[in-house]
Order: sequence, then C-alpha cells, then structure tokens
Amino acid sequence: MKPMLEARNLAVSFGGIHAVDGVTFAAAPNQITTVIGPNGAGKSTLFNLISGAVRPHRGHIVLDGKRHEHMRPDRLRELGIGRSFQITNLFFELTVAENLRLAAQLLEPRKHWLVPVRRSTLAGQRVGELLEEFHLAGKADERAGDLSHGEQRRLEIAVALAARPKVLMLDEPTQGMSHSDTAETARLIRALTDSVTVLLIEHDIGLVMDISDRIVVMHQGRKLADGPPAEVRADPAVQAAYFGHARS
Amino acid sequence: MDGVLSYIQFILAPQMLTGLALGVAVVLVALGLTIIFGLLDVINMAHGEFYAVGAYLAVALGLAGINFWVLLLLVPLIMAPIGYALERGLIQRVFNTGEDRHVTTLLLTFGLAMVIEELILIVFGVATMRPATPIPGAIQVFGMFLPNYRLFLIAFGLLVVAGVAIAVYRTRFGSMVRAAAFDRDMAASLGVPVSQVYALTFALGVALAGLAGVLLAPIYSVFPTMGRDFVFIAFTVVIVGGMGSIVGAVVAGLLLTQVQAISSLFISPVWSQPIVFGIMVLVLVLRPQGLFGRLGHA
Amino acid sequence: MLDRLSLSMRASHILVALLVVIALVFALVAWSTGDRFYLRLATEALIFAGLALSVDTLLGYTGLLPLGQALFFGFGAYVSALVLREAPSFWTAIGVVFLSTLVVGLTGGVIASRARGVYFALISFGLAQVVSKVVFNIRELGASDGLRGIPVLDIEFGLFSISTNAPLAFFLFTLAFILLLYALAAYLLDTPFGRVLIALKANEKRVPFLGYSVFGARLAAYILAAEIAALSGALYPMLRGFVSPELMFFAVSGNAIIGVILGGVGTLAGALYGSILLTLMRSIVGTWTEHHLIVIGLVFIIVVIFLPRGLLGFVRPRLEAVLSRRQKP
Repeated sequence: MKPMLEARNLAVSFGGIHAVDGVTFAAAPNQITTVIGPNGAGKSTLFNLISGAVRPHRGHIVLDGKRHEHMRPDRLRELGIGRSFQITNLFFELTVAENLRLAAQLLEPRKHWLVPVRRSTLAGQRVGELLEEFHLAGKADERAGDLSHGEQRRLEIAVALAARPKVLMLDEPTQGMSHSDTAETARLIRALTDSVTVLLIEHDIGLVMDISDRIVVMHQGRKLADGPPAEVRADPAVQAAYFGHARS
Repeated sequence: MDGVLSYIQFILAPQMLTGLALGVAVVLVALGLTIIFGLLDVINMAHGEFYAVGAYLAVALGLAGINFWVLLLLVPLIMAPIGYALERGLIQRVFNTGEDRHVTTLLLTFGLAMVIEELILIVFGVATMRPATPIPGAIQVFGMFLPNYRLFLIAFGLLVVAGVAIAVYRTRFGSMVRAAAFDRDMAASLGVPVSQVYALTFALGVALAGLAGVLLAPIYSVFPTMGRDFVFIAFTVVIVGGMGSIVGAVVAGLLLTQVQAISSLFISPVWSQPIVFGIMVLVLVLRPQGLFGRLGHA
Repeated sequence: MLDRLSLSMRASHILVALLVVIALVFALVAWSTGDRFYLRLATEALIFAGLALSVDTLLGYTGLLPLGQALFFGFGAYVSALVLREAPSFWTAIGVVFLSTLVVGLTGGVIASRARGVYFALISFGLAQVVSKVVFNIRELGASDGLRGIPVLDIEFGLFSISTNAPLAFFLFTLAFILLLYALAAYLLDTPFGRVLIALKANEKRVPFLGYSVFGARLAAYILAAEIAALSGALYPMLRGFVSPELMFFAVSGNAIIGVILGGVGTLAGALYGSILLTLMRSIVGTWTEHHLIVIGLVFIIVVIFLPRGLLGFVRPRLEAVLSRRQKP
C-alpha cells in the first residue's frame, strides 16, 4: 500500500546537538503510526519538522505521493497536515464553537472568505459535527480557557481535525488525562482512522501497544526500530534502550 | 593629501566627537530603556520625559546656585525615588490585569509621559533654556579643537556605563536582576524579592535618563518636548542592539550616533533620521531579536 | 445561530445606532440654534473618530498596537489637499487617496507586518516619526506651515450636492461617511478573514497550523486600517481648509489610542464613542485651562488601571447577554 506520509532522512541540529538525525519512516493511510522514545529522543522535534514548525537542515517529506521541502506550516496545513500540541495551544479567549469554526473555515472556498461568518455554512456544519463527535456540544459557547483539562485536550484534537486533514498529527493527546478519559480518547482516535491517517506521539505504553498499527522508536535523535507493535516490543535494542528504561 | 588631512582635522573629527558625546548620552538613556524592558517587559514611553526632567532639574537647581558637579550626583538621587514610586504606585498595578502586559504598561507610561510633559510646561513654560557650559574652553590636539566639556561628557558617561555593567554583572543586586529577568517565578521561589527588584531597576533606569539630561543640557537646549525627540533615537538603539541587551545598547548607541553624525556631513541632517530608521528596519527584518541577546537570556 | 463574536458585533451595531441618534439630535439642536462652531467641532470629532476606528481594527482585532497610525491619517489629508488644490472634486480626491493608500499601506505593511508585538508598535511609531519629520522639511509640501488655501467644495451626488462650507450638511455627510467606514470594518471583521485576525490577537502561534498565513493576514489588516485612517484624513482639509505636519505627529496617534482605550478596545463602537468623548473633554477642559493634556493624561492613566476594557467594555457584555437570551427562545 502506498504510504500517506513519508519522512525521508529528516535532520536538524540545535547548537551542535543533533535533535533529529536522519530519520526516515512511512505512515500508511488510515492507520495509526506512533512515535515513541524516552524524553529528549527527538519525538516532538520530529513532529515540528514534519508540520513545518521547524525547518529541517536536511531531508524532506512526501505527502500523498508528492515531495515537499521547506514548507511553511500554513502551506502544509493547506496540503493536508493537521497537528495538535503537547501543551494545549488553543484560542483561550474564544468559545469552543469559535475555536472550531476558525479551524473549519479552511474548508470554505476562497470566495466565501469575505462573506459574513454566519453564511459560511460548510464551516458551520463541520462545527456541529465536531461538537457531537468530541462530546463538546454542551460547551459550545464556553470560553476554551474555562474548560476542564480533559475537555481542552479533546478540543485540541478537534481543532486539528476540523479542516479534514489527510494526516492528523497528535502530540501526546492524553497528556495529563485521567485513566477513564485516556481510554475514551483512545477509542476516539481509533475511530478517526476511518477518514484520516494518524501520526501519534504517546507516552502511555499500554495505550500505544493497544491502538498503534505501526510503531517508530526513537532514541537520541535517531530511529531505533520501526514495525508492528509485537515486533517492536520483541526487538532487543528497543528493550534495552526504552522499555528497560521505563521499567527501572 | 593636504585637503584630506584638513578635512579630517576640521570637519570629520569634530563631527565624530560631537557624535560620540551625543552617543554616550544616548547610551545612558537607552541603557535604562533596555534594562527596564529586559527585566520588567515594560516599554517605558515616559523615558524621554525622565530625561527631560533631569535636564530641567539641572537648569532649575543650577539657577538656584547649586554647582554642576553636585548636580551630577544630586539629580539622579532625586530621580531614583521618583522612578521607584512610579513603578510601585502605577506600573506594578497593571502587571496582572490579564491583558497584554506590553500594551498596558506601554499605554500607562504613555499617559505618564503626557502628564510629565504638561507639568514641565506648567512649571517652566515653553521657553528654550540653555545652561552655561560647566567646563569652558577647548584643548588643541593635532590642530583639532576639542571642546573640554564634550571630552568630559564622553569620559564620565563611559565610566557610568561601565559602572552599570559592573552593577548588573558583578553585584548581588545584579545577579538578582538577571535571575528575575530570566525567570520571574523561579527567582521568586529562590527568595529574590522580585517586585522590590523591579522597582529598583526602574528607579535605576530613570536615574540614568535624568543623568543624561544633566549631561546634555549644556550642549543641547532644554525645551519641553526635548524628551520626545530624544527618545526616538534611544528606542532605535534599543531595537538595533537587541531589546534588553546592555552590550547591544552600548554598541548600537555609539554606532548609530556616528552614522547620524557622519551622514549629516554629506546630506541634509533632515535625512539622517530616516537613515538611522532604515538601519533599524533592516535589522528587524534580518535579525528581529537585534544584534545581541536579551538580559538574563544570553 | 450566531456565536459570541457575531453577537458582540451585533451589540456594537446597536451602540453605533444609538450614537447616530445622539448625533442627529445634536444636529437638530445645532440647526435650530443656528450654531456653526459646535457643528464644525463635532465634524472634526467624527473625522478623528475614523482614525480611532482604524486603530481599533489593529489593536482590538488583530492585536497590533499602531503607535503611528496618524501617518496614514496625515497621508490621506495631504493627498486629498494636493488633489483638491488642482482639481476641486470630492470623488477624485477620495479615489486618489484610496489608490495611493493601497500602495503606501502595502509598502508600510510589508515592513511592519514582519514584526510582532512590541516591535510592530515601535516600527509603526518610527515610520510615522520619520515621515512627519520629512514632510516637516519639504518646502514643496509647505514644510512646517503645511498646505493652505484648500478651496470650498461642492460634493456632487448627481441629484444634489453638499457644500463643505455648510456646517450642518457637511456634518451629516461626515457622519454618513464615518458610518460607512464603520460598516466596512464591522463587515470585514465578521467574515472568515476577520476571524483570522481575531485569532492572531488571541493566539498568533497557533494560526499557521490552521492553514492561515500570519504575514498575509497581518498585512491585509494593516492595509485595511491604513485605508480607514487615510479616508478619514481625506475629509480633514475639506473641513478646515488646510493640512499641516502636526496631523502625522505622535500626539494625533496617541489621541486615537486614548480614544480607543477610553471607549473600549475591540468593540469598534467604543472607538467612535471614546474618540468623540475625548474631543468633547478636550474642548471642555480647554475652556478652563490651556494645560488640558494633563487632565487627559490623568484620565487615561486611570482608565488603563481601573477600567482596562473601557466604557463599552463595561456596557457591551450586558447588551450581548440580552441579545443572546433573545436568540435562544
């Protein structure tokens, strides 16, 4: 199967430290590919490289068969890469519905950009869908800043998903969530794969093994292993570098 | 050959010296601005007015018979408590309103600038004043006339700048300032009395601006809007040098005033400000953080 | 179903409608008493309210503090004056101001839109400072005297015409003109484009990841604000018969900002109220002391400290609540 997203030889260094050092992997369409690794392994930097937040010194990505180099984040979003952030990054002053509408209005054709918001029906409908899908309908008119942590994390995903990206990148979506919220979010993410390719960073190993189709293990800026969960779990190098670490 | 030499001797060198004297004063003002920004995150729009107040105090106290040398110490000593009180009484009030701190403090100090300028008008009137030069005469070096007072200003100003640098980088107070600039909460948890440090830093900046006023009063005239005109170049210096950078303020201050001084030899002085501003825009485009890093961060 | 931002805009419309009623009552009273002075003053207040409107589109909706917005106000005034001296036609003047501001706004915007936060404020300040100094020294532009002798105009509407010399008619015309600018700003800010600007104010860092160019949006906002300021400024020489470099000075930019803060940042209507209130205050305080700036400065400091959301920041949320209740049956 042709991958939806490929990273090829991506690399960047900050002040002489190779944060990401030649990482290559592929994410198959409608699957969940999870990047794991100990703190400082370069997972978030890898996400920043793919989403355009950080400019790679080397390498490029291939999205849906097309090669892209040095793209700005807004162009990449238009091309189909949506992302969330590890530290909740919303428009806290705006309401839930306004956050979603803002993200969803990318779906509107350009000619609707200068007609009143209430007439951009495509975005309006999408907001309705998302409110339902992410159980936020009752909170539509509340300020995003007033939501509970779990709700903010859900909204964070919904905002990333709003304009129907091809690839949805989620950076620790369950960070700080309660156990039951985490399980619920995992179900939600699993359900998303009907329509989108998911790229995930996650610390909860149980959850990772449970929902991932493929796992990319990073260590000190490099890719250590890459394969289906069972295979990665059995890999001795991964055992040593990561699981051994986590258990100690 | 002779032409070149006499050009340097009679035109270029004096112009550069004038520029240097101005530059040192600009550095004093810019230093206060940049430290206040680096630590408090406050764009002090009233800074030019503090400079003006310093100059007016020098004029007024000078007329009252107080010796210039005493004023060099006395005026900053009067200004500092004013700065301290304004910081505690006004500026700290808007720190936690939830609005953007840059904007609210900028607006607040902008209002303050209006009030101070009007107070100056009420007390001193619109007339332009000019105190007598405290050190008259000039020395002759290689046939060049170097006005004594300007030489003194340069030497004294540079000493003060060095003193400030030592205070910030070598004293206990300085290390508290730098710690608070780097991370306010962390510094507070380490026992740094942050709001006290803020107020004292603001007071220091205000005192420096006042001192620049005393120093420049005998060279440039003293008039109510002098602060507004002067602070523009100081802001440019702070931006080019890097907001919150002490080294940046010194380097950019001396550099830009030289650019201004030398360029006005060739073109109308009216255009020297656009040139300096052009440099600022260029720096902002190529290196938005300025030439040097921020206080406490580098 | 309107969201809160659209409701807020509707609340602003109601407050502006109220302002129009007040203005019309004032006009009626002035007309019946045969007043000229206060009508001219009120016309000037409206013209400067246009500048405040432009400041609010940047400060209140895009999160950029324009410390030198008077640059565009003065630019519009000068261009308008230059055109009117050659060809006394309102429509030509407005057309030339509009087109030349597009060019100048684009140029300034490309420079200023690269900067954010404080840097934007200072670039805006510096641009205005430099241009006003240059104008102050160009003899062809009248230097410090400015341009004088702008002829009285008849603004042609086909069926009728309005003389800029008729205080009541020109006041009403200016009211309509500023309302039109308000309508333009209010309309644009309630579109998806406007929402991107609001997003820039709320959290600029997230905006690129939603697919919107920060630079592009900021540039568009900058040009929009430049047009509003310049078109307002274009009326100034028609009212006063002259322009001077003071129109670009920091005091004018500063006053517009004070007006916006006083009225309520990010409400549009507040910019109009605040600016007009300020002009009123200035002329009242000005009758008992020449140092009216000290009063205005103090009022400003008090507002920033105790009423940071301004007068309408206090009134409008209540109006919104009423509208929102009516929306949900």
